[in-house]
Amino acid sequence: MIWLTWRQFRIQTLAAAAALAAFAILLAATGPHLASLYAASAITGCHGGTCLTAVSGFLSRLSVTSPYSLVYELGIGLILAAPAIIGIFWGAPLIARELETRTFTLVWNQSITRTRWLAVKLTLTGLAAMAVTEALSLMFAWWADPIAKATGLSQGFLVFPPFTGGRFSSLIFTTHGITPLGYAAFAFTLGTATGALIRRAVPAMAVTLAIFAAVQLAMPLWVRPHLIPPDHTVATIESAQLDFGNLTATVVPGHQGAWIITSAAINAAGHPVSTLPAPCLGPPDAKAPNPGQCMESRGYREAITYEPASRYWPIQWIETGIFLALALTLAGFCFWRLGRRRT
Amino acid sequence: MYLVKCEVVVIEFHLDARSGVAPYRQLIHQVRHALRLGLLREGDQLPKVKDVVAGLAINPNTVLKAYRELEYEGLVAARPGIGTFVTGTLDGGPLAAHQPLRRDLARWLAKARRAGLDDESIEALFASTFRSASEEDIA
Amino acid sequence: MSAAIETEGLGKRYRRQWALTDCTLSIPAGHVVGLVGPNGAGKTTLLSLAVGLLAPDAGTIEVLGGMPGAGPTQLARVGFLAQDSPVYAGLSVADHLKLGARLNPGWDEGLARGRVDRLDLDPGQKAGTLSGGQRAQLALTLAIAKRPELLILDEPVASLDPLARREFLADLMQAVAEQQLSVVLSSHLVADLERVCDYLIVLVGSRVRVAGPVDELLATHHLLSGPYRDPATLPGGLKVISASHTDVQTTLLVRTSGGILDPAWTVFQVGLEDLVLAYMSQATGRRRRDNHHLEVRK
Repeated sequence: MIWLTWRQFRIQTLAAAAALAAFAILLAATGPHLASLYAASAITGCHGGTCLTAVSGFLSRLSVTSPYSLVYELGIGLILAAPAIIGIFWGAPLIARELETRTFTLVWNQSITRTRWLAVKLTLTGLAAMAVTEALSLMFAWWADPIAKATGLSQGFLVFPPFTGGRFSSLIFTTHGITPLGYAAFAFTLGTATGALIRRAVPAMAVTLAIFAAVQLAMPLWVRPHLIPPDHTVATIESAQLDFGNLTATVVPGHQGAWIITSAAINAAGHPVSTLPAPCLGPPDAKAPNPGQCMESRGYREAITYEPASRYWPIQWIETGIFLALALTLAGFCFWRLGRRRT
Repeated sequence: MYLVKCEVVVIEFHLDARSGVAPYRQLIHQVRHALRLGLLREGDQLPKVKDVVAGLAINPNTVLKAYRELEYEGLVAARPGIGTFVTGTLDGGPLAAHQPLRRDLARWLAKARRAGLDDESIEALFASTFRSASEEDIA
Repeated sequence: MSAAIETEGLGKRYRRQWALTDCTLSIPAGHVVGLVGPNGAGKTTLLSLAVGLLAPDAGTIEVLGGMPGAGPTQLARVGFLAQDSPVYAGLSVADHLKLGARLNPGWDEGLARGRVDRLDLDPGQKAGTLSGGQRAQLALTLAIAKRPELLILDEPVASLDPLARREFLADLMQAVAEQQLSVVLSSHLVADLERVCDYLIVLVGSRVRVAGPVDELLATHHLLSGPYRDPATLPGGLKVISASHTDVQTTLLVRTSGGILDPAWTVFQVGLEDLVLAYMSQATGRRRRDNHHLEVRK
């Protein structure tokens, strides 16, 4: 059965290996130079204000030098797309093609029960799916390590697209750590379950893509912030280092590297405001040299909902765990669906 | 010196699916016919069951049934693991020995023609009389 | 001799329709059994139940004394050829043999290779490019080389040209002779079954209409022709399968264990095809009678 799984899966395996190899070569070709740029930027061992200068110098240089921003975007895109591609091309046809072409009448009459047939196929292919996606993620994390260090120090101030995300940002969180494993397992088993339900490969591929894309969007937006109940605090305008464009905090005082989920300015009565108070809009004067002091003198503060940095790994584990549990449930559904009452 | 085993295929069966005669009976007739004509002699091997069914696409039990009945009639003998071999002969003597019967038949045919029967009627008359006579024999 | 397939009140339903109803059979081993009936009669359903691809909704079924598809041992004892002999289009002939070898502990590699050579199949050829007859032969090789006791084939020759059909059946019969296989094969062509089957089951409208050894069926069914007779006045021992009347003549196809004693009837032998057709028309005639109250069929 192991041989048969491999033989039926040969093309997909080779395609995945080729993609991994090509990506690895690309990273290997550009990685060392990126590391040397980082070394030359004097970010290591910087303190306080010099850090900001060093980081901004490094990141601005990077965002205009090709091919680094391109490789960065390619890497993120690849790791985001990999589970979906796996779900469509590895997962959906697994059961659906056998049912569609009626080859199940051939293979389920060999001296092997359909339970064993499915177990071997799901396990081997599922593990391969997880391995490929996580390998992409780890390779990319190695290559982008200098960038991650730099953005970690920039405290959300500096904006040098595409290197804008801290490790809690939607794109980065989904593509780093162990979450790629969860997404890959979920997308793959979603594909097989859809295929078992719809019984035709091409419609199953479409439905899998639609559902997975929806989940991949919904998780960071609506679910992730609530995986661990976030903390709340009210900070002074100054300490929150407000971005005066939209009145959101860029820093949680006392919590370096925290994930700011929501942030709003509140007036003295405690009601949120969305624009600068009128008096603070005018040119600075002796009494209120900048908008921040102006707002503070009027009793304005910043209400912040956040997750401290220490919760990064717990949230990673919980999110991965949820997707793995979903994957197991979907796999169980496949076994149930193939029962002998319904062919 | 090498001993080369050749399988000499002595007779080949054929089947008339439309004749109304059961297949196993047809095989028996063909064996008896071959014996009568001297094509099959004592000691010859009948075709193996698997070769007969491969050639005719019929049920092996049919062939086995035919061979068993021939064995019951004493014409062949089965040697397990080797094959089925001819043991008897069907020498009713050359047809010349049946001259009296032949003369009677010729006389009867002449009578039938004088009675005005055409070829088809003669055949039908013969067939139905033959059949009812056989049934009487069985009953 | 034990039963190859034993069913008791077997039934299978798809949504609201019963594809197979109240099927009670005891199919003996050591025979080539023909399952004949029109399309949609339930043949594929019955065979799928026997192989374990479906589970019954009513009644029970036992194959070679075990539950169909129950485990590797049971699966090894029953070979199956589905309609149109599906194979993996992307795998070569040799790949299919390897599939058989890896998934069947009882696999006979010599037998498989011998058949492939004898049939002139190119081991490197992709199965998707084989002709219909070659696909059927490949699927048959896979089914036979695992050395089953029972072989089940669902309309194996329906889509083959006459030459391929003859070659397939001849090849199948040779395997039966060599390996002492029991075979159950379905078809809607009675002519093919006639040559190879010695046991017949007629399935029409999801029900078994008649089942028995071919010799016995042919000996107990007769075609009677005689002057017009009211069906109600026929003697009780005669079971009328089909009847047709003109103003002066009645023709009946009957089943009886005794002889036909009434001299008014002329008795004819019945061929297998006529026998099956009579049962098929009996099934549809009954339905029609329920709907339209027709008694006389021209």
